[in-house]
Amino acid sequence: MLKLILIGLKDLKIMFRDRAALTFMLLAPFLLTLGLGFVTGSFGGGGSGLSDIPVVLVNLDKAELGNALVDVFYSEELSTLVEPSGAASAEATYRLVEEDQAAAAVIIPAGFTQSIIPTAGTFSPDPVQIEIYSNPARPTSAGVIKAIVDEFISRVEEGRISGMTAILSIPGIQNMPSEQVEALARGMFENAEADSDSTTAIALKKASQGADAVQFDPLAYMAPGMALMFLMYTVSYGGRSILAEKAQGTLPRLLVSPTLSYQILGGKVFGIFLSGVAQVGILILASSVFFGVRWGDSFGLVLLILAAVFGATGWGLLLTAIGRSAGQVSALGSSVMLIFGILGGSFISLEQLPPFVRMVSKITPNAWGLDGFTTLALGGGLPQLAEPITALLVMGASLFAVSAILFRRTNVMKR
Amino acid sequence: MKKLFAIIYKDALIRFASPWEWVFFIVLPVAFTFLLAGGTPSGEQDRRIRLLVVDEAGTSVSHQVLAELEKSTAVRSEVVSRAEGQKQFDERRASALFILPADLDISALNAGSAEVELLQQPNNINATVAERAILTALRSVSSAVGAANNAVSQREKQMPFASEAERQAYFNQSLEIARQLQADAPPRVTVIEGDTPEQQVDWDPRANSSAGQLITWVFIPLFGISAMFAYERQQGTLRRLLTTPCTKATFLLGTILGQVAFALLQMSLLVLFGMAVLNLQWGRDPLALAVILTAAALAAAALGTTMGTFIKSESQANGLSIMFGMVMALLGGCWYPLELFPEVVRTVVHILPTTWAMQGLLDLVLRGRGLVDILPEAGVLLGFAVVFFVVGIWRFRYE
Repeated sequence: MLKLILIGLKDLKIMFRDRAALTFMLLAPFLLTLGLGFVTGSFGGGGSGLSDIPVVLVNLDKAELGNALVDVFYSEELSTLVEPSGAASAEATYRLVEEDQAAAAVIIPAGFTQSIIPTAGTFSPDPVQIEIYSNPARPTSAGVIKAIVDEFISRVEEGRISGMTAILSIPGIQNMPSEQVEALARGMFENAEADSDSTTAIALKKASQGADAVQFDPLAYMAPGMALMFLMYTVSYGGRSILAEKAQGTLPRLLVSPTLSYQILGGKVFGIFLSGVAQVGILILASSVFFGVRWGDSFGLVLLILAAVFGATGWGLLLTAIGRSAGQVSALGSSVMLIFGILGGSFISLEQLPPFVRMVSKITPNAWGLDGFTTLALGGGLPQLAEPITALLVMGASLFAVSAILFRRTNVMKR
Repeated sequence: MKKLFAIIYKDALIRFASPWEWVFFIVLPVAFTFLLAGGTPSGEQDRRIRLLVVDEAGTSVSHQVLAELEKSTAVRSEVVSRAEGQKQFDERRASALFILPADLDISALNAGSAEVELLQQPNNINATVAERAILTALRSVSSAVGAANNAVSQREKQMPFASEAERQAYFNQSLEIARQLQADAPPRVTVIEGDTPEQQVDWDPRANSSAGQLITWVFIPLFGISAMFAYERQQGTLRRLLTTPCTKATFLLGTILGQVAFALLQMSLLVLFGMAVLNLQWGRDPLALAVILTAAALAAAALGTTMGTFIKSESQANGLSIMFGMVMALLGGCWYPLELFPEVVRTVVHILPTTWAMQGLLDLVLRGRGLVDILPEAGVLLGFAVVFFVVGIWRFRYE
């Protein structure tokens, strides 16, 4: 047992002396997490990375509703989300959008108010549409601008329909002079606007998953996502060392020493496992120290890290059993790292991937590990972690068994 | 010239000696482009956010809410059972779950006790968008009732109702009118995707994935030129070159030209994949595309050359190439649109060639622009190439 532990510790020491490997194991996932933190706005205190969306407004209407929409964009409520500016003509705004200086332009045409609110002698029943000229390179920001305009229009329509309904419900309305109808309609529209409040007749009860217990930090997904992806590199690097030692002659030398082959293999596997635990542990610790991610249940966190590394070590061992040379295992490991990264949700949320990909993702330790880390970040504890931890342990054990059979066939551990 | 071809051929043999190189050269880039593009629907497909809806009421009110949601430009509702919806939500396969409870009917609406439930994944932008769309739909459905109530109160101000039955009949008639007005409401907003009017380009969000992955997967191996130098230095073959009539310039030119040629081949394959499988309009201006791709490849190769003069071992170079490639791709907007980054970061990332390459490619494939428009981006990329080639060649040593 002592020999097994000594071999494991020796491999851990070798790995942590390799600056190139350390760069890839620790610096790369840390830098990528940092970049993803910018995307998600995790360093700005906001819920998303979107803020100060540049939008250009052209108010050719210059009447009640056009002015009201401009006021919405300049309101205190939207002051951090959008950064509005004015322009004299639609053509000027098109240029700004095309030059990527604005996420969208909102053009309120002349006569917009008149097409909705009846004014004596000027009511125009033809619909006049607000134009949103959106920047295709900023789809999310443009979507936000559109949602703001949609909501404004929805409120305006509410007032219009309320006023129109009141008018059209009056018996004999068809026989009234048009001036009288218009005056009545205007009065009712204004009444409806004054009477209405922001609530609807149907109340919306909201609930966020786990949000009652803890505020979810997107970095709690990004940081383990990157750590788990680069964990695949670490386990293949460790596996590669078995073949490298064979090629360099140190493994045959070990085999002629009074050490059993299972002790050597066990020690190597233990070394891979220790390296993986150290890597993920450091990255998770760094996520807490530098990014302020709260992981909640510490015992659950430790168990999850151990299980995730166990599952990944199984894959590392399988790659070693399949590969014929250290170089091949290295290339295979890098490929698997990236493939598992995308399949397991390290790059984009699994929710965005097609159903068959989500199904395939279950073979990756990344998907199960991320599931567990997200559960923890949402305030979950050990009982909620039972499924991912079990899956990772079963994965690791199965892969160990397959690898052992393959090792026996390839005679790697023979003198 | 013969020497140049010999060096290029030698590098090709070394690089593609392992079948795994093909995985990095074409299999992984295609798989990533396909999967990441799979997350964003094509121009013809429904781009709206998927919203799971559980309709336990099955009443006219719940049907109205569903009909209003159907009109939404932001969400695409998908009616599921309670168990299925809850399962997908718990497994985080859905951003939001909207539940219309069994007691949602007209009487609850009139009594003001109508309530619906929305479950949202935390800090999820899609869930926030879904909430806004739901509020708009609820306001629309509520507004019909509100309008009918308003009509009743307006009428009461002028002439009180003789009986409750008359009042109810007036309410029902008003409700019908309000719903008809809602149904007949004309669209009041029109959205135009910004592009050059004379060369209409259909906006397709998958273009982002295609351009981004193209840059990511081409920059990484070009940064890998550093690994080639380190490998030859470690093997001692660079020293042996000193004894041959091959100059430093010939060796560097051959090595760099070879890698740039492979990069251009790789990019062409990815462009063809984008055109054939994702129906992207990469081929509108082939000359402009060739200019920006060549400029990007040269900039990346120059960076790889400079890196090669600092890095000592092949394994170090391999790790750093992947790390720099991925970090630069992320910060250059190749994985996520730059609009999501803070203003300061958006400005700072202009020091990266990936930002300029991405901007140039998006100008072509998203904005439908041509050669003249992408010249600034190509110019900056060539500037990167000149600076880093000068540094790389100046610092290059055989040993």
